[in-house]
Amino acid sequence: MKIVIAGAGQVGSHLAKMLSDEEQDIVVIDRDERNLAALDNYNLMTVRGSAVSFNDLKGAGVSGCDLFVAVTPYETRNIMACSIARSMGARHTVSRIENSELMAPRHKEYFNAIGVNDLIYPDYVASEEMANAMRRTWVRNWFELFDGQLIVVGVKLRANASLVGKRLRDLSDVSSFMHVCAIKRNREIIIPRGSDMIIVNDIAYIATTRDHIEEVVDVCGKVNIGVEKVMVMGGGPMTAQLLSMVGSRYRVKVIEPDYARCESLAEAFPNSSIVNGDARDTDLLEEEGIGDYDVFVALTDSSEANILGCMMAKEHGVRKTIADVENLQYINEAELLNIGTIINKKLIASSRIVQLMLDADTSNAKCLALADAEVAEIVIKDGWSSTRKAVKNLSLPDELTIAGMVRHGQGLLVNGDTVLQSGDHVVVFCLSGSLHKLEKSFK
Amino acid sequence: MKLINLPVVLRVQGWLLLIEATFMLAPIAVSCYYHEWPTAICFTYATLLTIIAGLMMARWLRPSPGTSMRRREGVLLTAIIWVFFSFFGMLPLLFTGTVDNVTDAFFETMSGFTTTGSSIIADVETLPRGVLFWRSMMQWIGGMGIILFTLAVLPMLNQKGGIALFNAEVTGITHERLRPRVSQTAKDLWLIYIILTITMTALLVKPMGWYDAVSHAMTTMATGGFSTKNAGLHFWNSYYVYGVAIVFMFLGGINFSLIYNASRGRFDRVRSNDTFRFYCFFTLLVAVVIFINMCVEGYASSDGDRAVFALFDTVAAITSTGLSTIDYETRGEFIAMILLVVIFFGGMAGSTSGGAKIDRFIVLLKNTLNEFYRVLHPNAVKTVRINGRALAHTLVAKVIAFLAIYVMVTIIAALVLTLYELPIVDSLYTSLAMVSNYGLGYGATAVPGGFAALPVAAKWMLAVEMLVGRLELFTVLVIFTPAFWRKD
Repeated sequence: MKIVIAGAGQVGSHLAKMLSDEEQDIVVIDRDERNLAALDNYNLMTVRGSAVSFNDLKGAGVSGCDLFVAVTPYETRNIMACSIARSMGARHTVSRIENSELMAPRHKEYFNAIGVNDLIYPDYVASEEMANAMRRTWVRNWFELFDGQLIVVGVKLRANASLVGKRLRDLSDVSSFMHVCAIKRNREIIIPRGSDMIIVNDIAYIATTRDHIEEVVDVCGKVNIGVEKVMVMGGGPMTAQLLSMVGSRYRVKVIEPDYARCESLAEAFPNSSIVNGDARDTDLLEEEGIGDYDVFVALTDSSEANILGCMMAKEHGVRKTIADVENLQYINEAELLNIGTIINKKLIASSRIVQLMLDADTSNAKCLALADAEVAEIVIKDGWSSTRKAVKNLSLPDELTIAGMVRHGQGLLVNGDTVLQSGDHVVVFCLSGSLHKLEKSFK
Repeated sequence: MKLINLPVVLRVQGWLLLIEATFMLAPIAVSCYYHEWPTAICFTYATLLTIIAGLMMARWLRPSPGTSMRRREGVLLTAIIWVFFSFFGMLPLLFTGTVDNVTDAFFETMSGFTTTGSSIIADVETLPRGVLFWRSMMQWIGGMGIILFTLAVLPMLNQKGGIALFNAEVTGITHERLRPRVSQTAKDLWLIYIILTITMTALLVKPMGWYDAVSHAMTTMATGGFSTKNAGLHFWNSYYVYGVAIVFMFLGGINFSLIYNASRGRFDRVRSNDTFRFYCFFTLLVAVVIFINMCVEGYASSDGDRAVFALFDTVAAITSTGLSTIDYETRGEFIAMILLVVIFFGGMAGSTSGGAKIDRFIVLLKNTLNEFYRVLHPNAVKTVRINGRALAHTLVAKVIAFLAIYVMVTIIAALVLTLYELPIVDSLYTSLAMVSNYGLGYGATAVPGGFAALPVAAKWMLAVEMLVGRLELFTVLVIFTPAFWRKD
């Protein structure tokens, strides 16, 4: 697939590297030579130029591209660039925006008319993830596939989990309702085999069906807490987005050092309490009753402050912490530091775009990104070799494993003896960079 | 983590040697066609040896885990592969007895792959056709680039590491890519190269016959300069042959991405390209100056000869092909000197030609003008503009550094040559001919067999100098810096 990415900022370059590793044809446009120089050692082409210049876009080969992604820092420029690209013959266009109002379904027609096929608002997607995390405090990641027929959860296992200390092949008592498809240990994702053992502090990625969630919660030794009170550190645009999404469901308190920001939040969300102050100040936190809160969300501009804030909250007895960590390098460290859920807008935005790319593809796969692995869907077609053999005889590459499948609208788990049928939707868990092998493995 | 993952480098070398073995099948076929059975057998031995060595390296070496091709491995691989290719490429020359010692054979092969075109062999017409064909073929492979060919055909290099290789081998200040994936870029470049070579062959078949036409097309497109005749193109002494050679040498000196754009009908990009315009203008200017000088001094017999020879020698020099029409000594000192300047800069970056590249000359020129302007207007902001875009200061600095190192390499090699009692002018000229991959000597090295008479050490040094020039200095020289081998 040929993909043109306008804007080599953080999202743009992350996306470009990721897609280039997946063997897609990537062209990146940016006005700044230095941004492009950073991509010099990747298997892609860079074009210096403006995203809204007809000439530069033509030079980048937009007219024949399958997907055009505009992720420059400016919303209006992104929309404009998409519109131009579409008019030049790009098959599908995606624009990053910074305003939730534009996302409303009733505007969809307008945007289609001017040539913008999809809008991505990272703050919105991130807020959705956070809202999800608050509803299910016991998980770190929650992936719903096929309208919730199949669910993949990432859970950190403590000593009280009954899974800990067992080999996968000895898990027969739970294998009827769940399947451990991957383990994250320290910094590495392992696709486990039968002989691998689950140990304390592993993050296990478990596939299950909707009806068996309670049992999974049980064997993981977790309790789902009913959230009532949420404390948010930082009052930027993402906080506003989060408040508009969950402000009426929970009692939210926002702590923000900038007075003007406090005022505008107080104006927009009269039901939430807004406190002017620095959340890194322990006295202030105690004064505001940190111990009574169920969830602590850190959304300041500084990843370091967010990580520290969450650790302090943990010390004060908050059960669930959520941190926005924008430096990709910190994510692994932050996971080791016991922060409940980590939000990264770049990963979220790029995984959404990858999803769009795969949607456009015939293989009809969808994917949900983690930092270094993907969960993807694939539909089995007639005549593929995988419809003739049992799963254990498929010789799948080591980097991927089947998490489960949906047959006739019903979520099912897969074991070694299962034989796939055409029309099955299979959910595959794979390490980054192996997504392109997916279809080949099943054909 | 180890500093350099040597097994990875050697394993890829193994694969590349298998490619070289495949290329060697061509001279075997030629030998068989002309019933030169002993030559065919020698080539078969060489091919088998290459295959065995390649297979052993590719299958037995296991790369240390955790590291793949990074920048250091890429640089090392690119530099070493040219040496490996030369070592195995010289086997046929040794086996057939064309050359009787390793030094000469290595010099000849390296001169082939780097498209320098200097020859140890005084009389090529007595050689078997298979050997001559292999000489031409080496230039053809080296002209576009070994790595580039590999990137086009081997999917295994089409990863991040492949980019480092691409950047290390392709000439120029920046490394332009035509298409999103480097393998596609490599394929396009080779396709253009092959089409041009076939076209030239077709044009030369009538006067030369198939065998000579193919050989000359390969060496001309590669701007290499090996010939199947002692007299070179002079053997045919026809305006038509000269004309075809001029056109295709000239094409060989053009940035191949421009030819790609032209083939796609994007002529506006060709026309508006500063470097291309300068290249045309510079070639014409020098040709006219040489023509006038020839007329005044009374060289050659007719005005037609003078015009053709002037243009031919200019193009042969600027593209570093090193084919010559008339004897060097009789051209006079002025023409020799003016060609020296032309050789120094060479053709466009991204072409098959050698030299420091005319792109860098333009940067130097514009930067020099800016410096003069700044003497009068110290606060003026001036940029070096190429094709309407300002070149970043770091790149300008890199170009100046390149030219300085280029001169240093030339002088140091010349210094070594004077140790062996070669006259100063001959030493400098020869040294420049090596580093610019031009290939024709001067004075003592210009006579047939002149290079063969050089001492052994000098030949090895010149062979290295050719490689340094072909890979544009940094790729080879950085390996000799301590920082390359030190953990940072």
